[in-house]
Amino acid sequence: MATEATLQPGTFVDEAGMRSEEMILNMGPQHPSTHGVLRLVLTLDGETVVNCTPVIGYLHRGMEKIFENRPYMGGIRYIDNADYLSPMLNEIAYAQAIEQLMGIEPPRRAQYIRLIVGELERIASHLVAIGTYGLDLGATTPIVWCFRDREIILDSFESLSGHRFTHNYMRVGGVMQDFPKGWLQNCQEWLDIFEKKSLPDLEGLITGNEIFQARTEGVGYIDPQQAIAYALSGPLIRGSGVPFDVRVTQPYGAFREIAVIPQVRQEGDCFARYRVKMDEMSESVRLIRIALDKLPGGSVCQRTPIALRPQRGETYAAVESARGEEGVYMISDGSEYPYRAKLRGPSFTNLQILPELLRGNKIGDVIAILGSIDIVLGDVDR
Amino acid sequence: MNNLLTNDIFLIFIHFVITFVFSLGFLMTAATVLVYLERKVQGYAQDRYGPLHYGPGGILQSPFDVIKLLLKEDVKVGKADGIVFRLAPVVFFAPVITAFVVLPFSPYLTAGALGTGIIFYVALSSIDVIGVFMAGWGSNNKYSLIGGLRSAAQMISYELPLVLSLVGVVMVTSLLAPGCIGAHPNLTTCGVGSISFTQIVEAQMQPGAPWFWFVLAQPLGLLVYFICGLAETNRSPFDLPEAESELVAGYLTEYSGLRWAMFFLGEYGNMAIVSAVATALFLGGWSGPGASAVPWEALFGHSAVAIFFSQVIFNIFGAFWFTVKMGVLLGVFLWIRATLPRLRADQLMRFAWLFLIPLTLINILITGFILLLPIGLVAQLAVSAVVNLILMLFMIFGLGRLTGVSSKGKLPKWARDGRTVGSAPVGAVGARRIGAPVAALSAAGANRAAPTPTDNAESDLAETAARK
Repeated sequence: MATEATLQPGTFVDEAGMRSEEMILNMGPQHPSTHGVLRLVLTLDGETVVNCTPVIGYLHRGMEKIFENRPYMGGIRYIDNADYLSPMLNEIAYAQAIEQLMGIEPPRRAQYIRLIVGELERIASHLVAIGTYGLDLGATTPIVWCFRDREIILDSFESLSGHRFTHNYMRVGGVMQDFPKGWLQNCQEWLDIFEKKSLPDLEGLITGNEIFQARTEGVGYIDPQQAIAYALSGPLIRGSGVPFDVRVTQPYGAFREIAVIPQVRQEGDCFARYRVKMDEMSESVRLIRIALDKLPGGSVCQRTPIALRPQRGETYAAVESARGEEGVYMISDGSEYPYRAKLRGPSFTNLQILPELLRGNKIGDVIAILGSIDIVLGDVDR
Repeated sequence: MNNLLTNDIFLIFIHFVITFVFSLGFLMTAATVLVYLERKVQGYAQDRYGPLHYGPGGILQSPFDVIKLLLKEDVKVGKADGIVFRLAPVVFFAPVITAFVVLPFSPYLTAGALGTGIIFYVALSSIDVIGVFMAGWGSNNKYSLIGGLRSAAQMISYELPLVLSLVGVVMVTSLLAPGCIGAHPNLTTCGVGSISFTQIVEAQMQPGAPWFWFVLAQPLGLLVYFICGLAETNRSPFDLPEAESELVAGYLTEYSGLRWAMFFLGEYGNMAIVSAVATALFLGGWSGPGASAVPWEALFGHSAVAIFFSQVIFNIFGAFWFTVKMGVLLGVFLWIRATLPRLRADQLMRFAWLFLIPLTLINILITGFILLLPIGLVAQLAVSAVVNLILMLFMIFGLGRLTGVSSKGKLPKWARDGRTVGSAPVGAVGARRIGAPVAALSAAGANRAAPTPTDNAESDLAETAARK
C-alpha cells in the first residue's frame, strides 16, 4: 500500500504496485460538444477524470465596456448577444434596470407582452438545451425535433420584432410595438400543437429511454447545500430540490399578477435537471395561456424622452432567464451613458461547480454533466 | 464447344469469376447504398429530407461523395507513426472484403463454400479490431488513442457472446443432420452438426418444412447476435470508439480522403456482413417463394437448356430473398441509430461480461440438455424453442431492470444517503484511487513540473492555479 508521500503528482500506484501516468487532454475550444468555445483541461487516469480546469474567455467581446459607450437604448441590441439562446429575457433584464433607475413602470399590456415573449423564449431555449443534451449523449433525433419546434417560435419573433435572433424588441418603458394581426391566434394554435404533440413526442423519445436514464440518473449529483453555496440558479438549483425562482422570490412585471409554480425535483442528478426543463416548458405553456386570456388593452410603451438621462444612482434588476438568474447591475452618473453596466450571467456562475462535479467520473460523463449544466458561452464570456 | 462446357476446370473458373465479381460488386454497392439509405432513413425519422439534389431523390449523393473522397488530398499527420498510420485502413478493410467469400447468397453465388464457414467469419471479424487499434495508436492523437483502446476493449468483449450465440444454431443443426430424419437414422452422419454456412442454410429447408428458420428455434440467439453485431460494427448505441460528442471522431480523427473512406466503407460493409450472417444462420438464407429449382423445372420442362434456365432463375430468386432479409436487418440497424443514445464505456463492458456471456452460456447448457432428452425430434425442437423464447423475454425484461439505476420518480439510494457532490456514481475502486492524487495535486499546486512539453495545457494549468 503506497502512502501519500511516495506518490508523485501525476502518477498512480495501485495495490499491486502498478504505476500509471495520468494524461492531460484538452477538450475544446474546438470540440463538438463543449457547447461553444469552452476549453476543459482534463487530467485523466485512463477514462477517469482526476481533475478539470475550465478555461474561458474565447468569446469575450467586452460587452460591459460596450454598454458604457452607448446611450442607454443602444445597449438593448448588444445584450441580445450575451445569452444568445434567450435574447428576449436578457433584454427584459436590461430594460428593467433602466426603468428602475428612472423610476418608471411599463404599461400593463407591455408587462403581459414581456411575459408572453419571455416564456416563449424560455421554451425555445429549453428546446435547444434538451436537443443538444440528446446529441451529447449520442441520440441524433431529438435535436432535429427540438429545432423544428423552435423554428416556429423564432418565426413568430420575426413577425413581432423583425429579427429572428437579435430581436431588439424591448424598450425602456415597454416594448417596441404591439402584436401584428393574427399573431395571438397563431400563438394559441402553436401552443396546442406543442403541448399535444411535440412535448409527448419528446417525452416518448427521451424520457422513457432506458439508456438515457442509465446515462443520466445518479450522474453529477449536486447537494442542495452545495447548490446554494455555489450560488447556482435556474434548472440547476431547482433540480437539486431548492425552490429558487426569481419569478417567485422577487416577482417582476406581470409575474406579480400571474403566479408561477416553480418546477422542483429532489434527485439532484442530470436526469432531474432534464426533468425540470421538460416540466418548465409545460409550465411556460400554462403561463402563456393565462397571459393570453388576461391580456389587457392599452398602450404598449410609455412615452420617454429621446435621450434617456436617469438620475444618479445604482440598481440591480434580475429576471429568471432560461438558465437562471440573469441580472443587470447598473450605475448612472446622470448622463446619457451608463457609468457601469455589470451582467450577472447564470451560465458563468453555474459553470463554477463543473470541476467539482467531474472529479471521479468517466469521460462520457463529462459530456453528460456539462450538457446538463446547460451553459451558453456567450453568457459565460460576455 | 461442348467439351468446354463440360470441362470442370473451366466451369470452376467461370464460377469463381461470377461469384468474385458479384461479391465485390455487392460489397461496394451495399456500402454506398447503405450510406444513402442511412441518411434518408434518418431524415425520415427526423422530419427532414436528407440528400435531395443529385439525381432523383438525391440517389447519386453517395457516389459523388465517394468520388470527392477519392480526389481529396491524403493528409498525413506530421508526428504520426507512418507505417502504422498508412497500414491501418488496409488492415481494417481487407477482412471485410474477405468475409464476403463465405456468404451464401444463393447455391451458385457462394464464392467459397468453406466447411469452416463460421470459424472463418469469426476469425476475420476479430482482425478488424487490429486495424482500429492501429489507427488509434498510429495517429498520435489522444482522442484517437482513447477511441482505439475503447474499441479494442469493446470488440474483444463482444466477440465472446457473438460466438457463443451462434453455438446454439450449430447444436440445432446436429439434430437436423442428413442421416437423422426418417425412420432409420444413419448413426454415422446423424448428430454431427455443421459450421458451414451453406449446410446450415440447407438445414433450414427441410423437405416437409421449408420455412423452418432457426430464428424459430433460437430467437434469443438472433437477438444476442444482433446486439453483438451492433457492438462489433461500432454502431449506435455502442458507437463509443468514434463517439462524436466525446472523442471528436475517435480513431478516425486524423484520417481524411481515401483512407477515411476505407474505414467508412469498411464499417458499412461490416454492417452488411453482420446482417448477411444473421440472415444465413437465423432467417433461412435464400429460402423463400420461388427459390427452388423444382417449380421452374416443372414449368420449363426437363431439357438441358430448361434445366439451365431454371437454375439461373432459382439462383436469382435465392439472391433476391437473401438480399431482402438482409435489408430488413439493415433497416433495424438504421432504425436503432436514429433512436437510441449511447452507452457509457463501463456500462458497455458490464453489459457484455455480466449479462450477455452468462445468458448465452445458459442457453448453450439448456439447449444441450434438451438435445439429450429422448423425446423425439419435433418435441426437442419445440421445447428448445419455448425455452429460448422464455430466455429472450427474460433478457428483454432484465435489460430494463439492469440498465436503469433507479425506478422512475424515486430518490436513488445514494441521494438518500446524502453523499457529497460528485461522489455518487464512482465505484469503490475509483474513489479510493482518486482520493490520494487529488490531495497530492492540490498540495503540489503550481510547483508541478510539466511532463508533456508538447502540450501547452500544462502551463495553462499552472497559470490558472497561480491566478487563484
